[in-house]
Amino acid sequence: MIRLRAIRFKYNSTYLLDGLTFHVEPGDRIGLVGPNGAGKTTLCHIIMGLLKPESGEVEIFGKQRKVEGDFAEIRGRIGFLFQDADDQLFCPTVLEDVAFGPLNLGKSPDEAKQIVARTLESLQLEGFEERLTYQLSGGEKRLVSLATVLAMEPELLVLDEPTTGLDEETTQRLVEILRESNLSYILISHDKDFVQKTADKICEIKDGTIRFI
Amino acid sequence: MHIAEGVLSAPVLATGAALTAGATVFGLKRMDYEQLPGVAVLSAVFFVAALIHVPVGPVAAHLVLNGLCGLLLGWLAFPAILVGLTLQAILFNFGGLTTLGLNAFNMGAPAVLVGYVCSFGLNSANPAVRTVAEFSAGAGAVLLSGILVACSLVVTGESFQTAAWLVVAAHVPVMVVEGIVTVFIVEFVRRVRPEMLQGYA
Amino acid sequence: MQIEEFAPGESFIHRMDPRVKITATVVFSIVVALHSSVNGELAALALALVLVLAARIGFGSVLRRLAVVNVFTVFLWFLLPFTARGEAIGTVGPLAVYGEGVDQALQITLKSNAIVLTVIALLGTSRIFVLVHALSHMGVPDKLVHLLFFCYRYLHVIHEEYGKLVKAMKVRGFIPRTDLHTYRSYAYLVGMLLVRSFDRSKRIVAAMKCRGFKDRFYILHHYDMRRSDYVLAACSFVAAAGLLVVR
Repeated sequence: MIRLRAIRFKYNSTYLLDGLTFHVEPGDRIGLVGPNGAGKTTLCHIIMGLLKPESGEVEIFGKQRKVEGDFAEIRGRIGFLFQDADDQLFCPTVLEDVAFGPLNLGKSPDEAKQIVARTLESLQLEGFEERLTYQLSGGEKRLVSLATVLAMEPELLVLDEPTTGLDEETTQRLVEILRESNLSYILISHDKDFVQKTADKICEIKDGTIRFI
Repeated sequence: MHIAEGVLSAPVLATGAALTAGATVFGLKRMDYEQLPGVAVLSAVFFVAALIHVPVGPVAAHLVLNGLCGLLLGWLAFPAILVGLTLQAILFNFGGLTTLGLNAFNMGAPAVLVGYVCSFGLNSANPAVRTVAEFSAGAGAVLLSGILVACSLVVTGESFQTAAWLVVAAHVPVMVVEGIVTVFIVEFVRRVRPEMLQGYA
Repeated sequence: MQIEEFAPGESFIHRMDPRVKITATVVFSIVVALHSSVNGELAALALALVLVLAARIGFGSVLRRLAVVNVFTVFLWFLLPFTARGEAIGTVGPLAVYGEGVDQALQITLKSNAIVLTVIALLGTSRIFVLVHALSHMGVPDKLVHLLFFCYRYLHVIHEEYGKLVKAMKVRGFIPRTDLHTYRSYAYLVGMLLVRSFDRSKRIVAAMKCRGFKDRFYILHHYDMRRSDYVLAACSFVAAAGLLVVR
């Protein structure tokens, strides 16, 4: 699905990523670990086209991706969960926020509402439609953010620190949701236990490159 | 300073509303959708900053920061200020609905003007020039706002002349504080996130 | 931040179509603001009080809001009666009191209280998001509507950050005074909020792009006027027209 080759990315005059090569195949469930500031989030932003590497190749779904337009095509197919749910949830109500992605993909308002209902149900968030996003608890915000991503029916999920600030129960729910889904995903986490439970492969980013451990 | 409801005459209110409508539409035209969250979020910061009461001798004044708003947002300061005032009017009943247009003009026009004029000195290599530009932006915008409020009162009726003078006088200490605070804020932003000073204008 | 305190409630005013509420408030405010007779203004104040009663909202909170507004009107009472021109009707100490000034101060007091009460009763009883949705159906430009949405949404986040920073300053012994240290500290506080918010807005845009944003927002909420809404709309226009006639 994803092939990154010889990626170099400069941050403050040093190379954060230096000749990094990374593949994701269908069915992969990859845990991405590494020290703070190693470039985990940067790598994910490069996959999503939010950051452009200085050199190297980004191939996603069998096609080279270089300019903004190339990445616009893939963004519905790769769901990206941001570190801070407040960045992701910008609409007044949960309904509008979860519907935002499907509407952008060209669904009609009625279809979008159905998708919202279905997605919320699958996460046991029935009846959340009219809740105000800024009044949700931390755990609810995280699950609703996940709903906004899942509503686009992505083929691959990229999750950036999904367990930060979550209590044990919500973390456990997230583990179950991920295990029961048949999605491929890449997740960044410092939570060793969470990574063990959810990932089949674990990679570490260190000194600008990546290796499986 | 917000002018309350029921003070000003119809022509003054109508002129203010028309000018604000025009400037807002112009500002919105210059803002693309990708800039929208940035403008809105800065507008929210200015809203929150207005809740800060800084001591000025024995009394306290709340921060206005419309000069800073002009420096950072240029023309987009107009819609940003209108949005902030609308929310203040509905949430706290500061200002009002009939005066919304005029109040937005009294705050927004100085913001855009000083933002434009002072942007020339903003990125000067000479720290003294920068300080002068920043101070004049902060102080100038508040002074001009005070003068516009006073003018709105005087045009409405002669009996408001004394009130108008008092308004301008009351803005003078606030103006100094605003100037100082604006200098510090801009220098902070310059060190931490200099790209914010490139401006939207 | 105590906001939207009047929005929860079950009165018929709470259930009114927000478009009717906005239109009625604007029409009423303009009629009252430009009124020129004390009788008409008293009638307007009475009408506004009826609305507040009908909305069944906490009177204590309403009075607190009025107190803030009346700081300004009290200031006018100390000023206008002594600075107006025309015929003096008496003296207070060495100062002459002018009838025209008293009349003006009285009228402004009545008008501003009537309008504020109406805004509280009609607009305060709807959530901001509902009002802004209504504005989007009333011809307000799309970009302005979304500025309001975003601004209100992130107001809460930024206010929370502000609260945390202020606490952090306090526990380190910060006491506001009239000095440069105070001004610098507040400036850094605002500067920090600005920088964080700027960074946040970049992440918001990125998150929007990841969900396929293509320069278009969609509004999912639509309102249907019920018969009661038409009746209420008609009533408010009759009331506004009635105020115009009172001299």
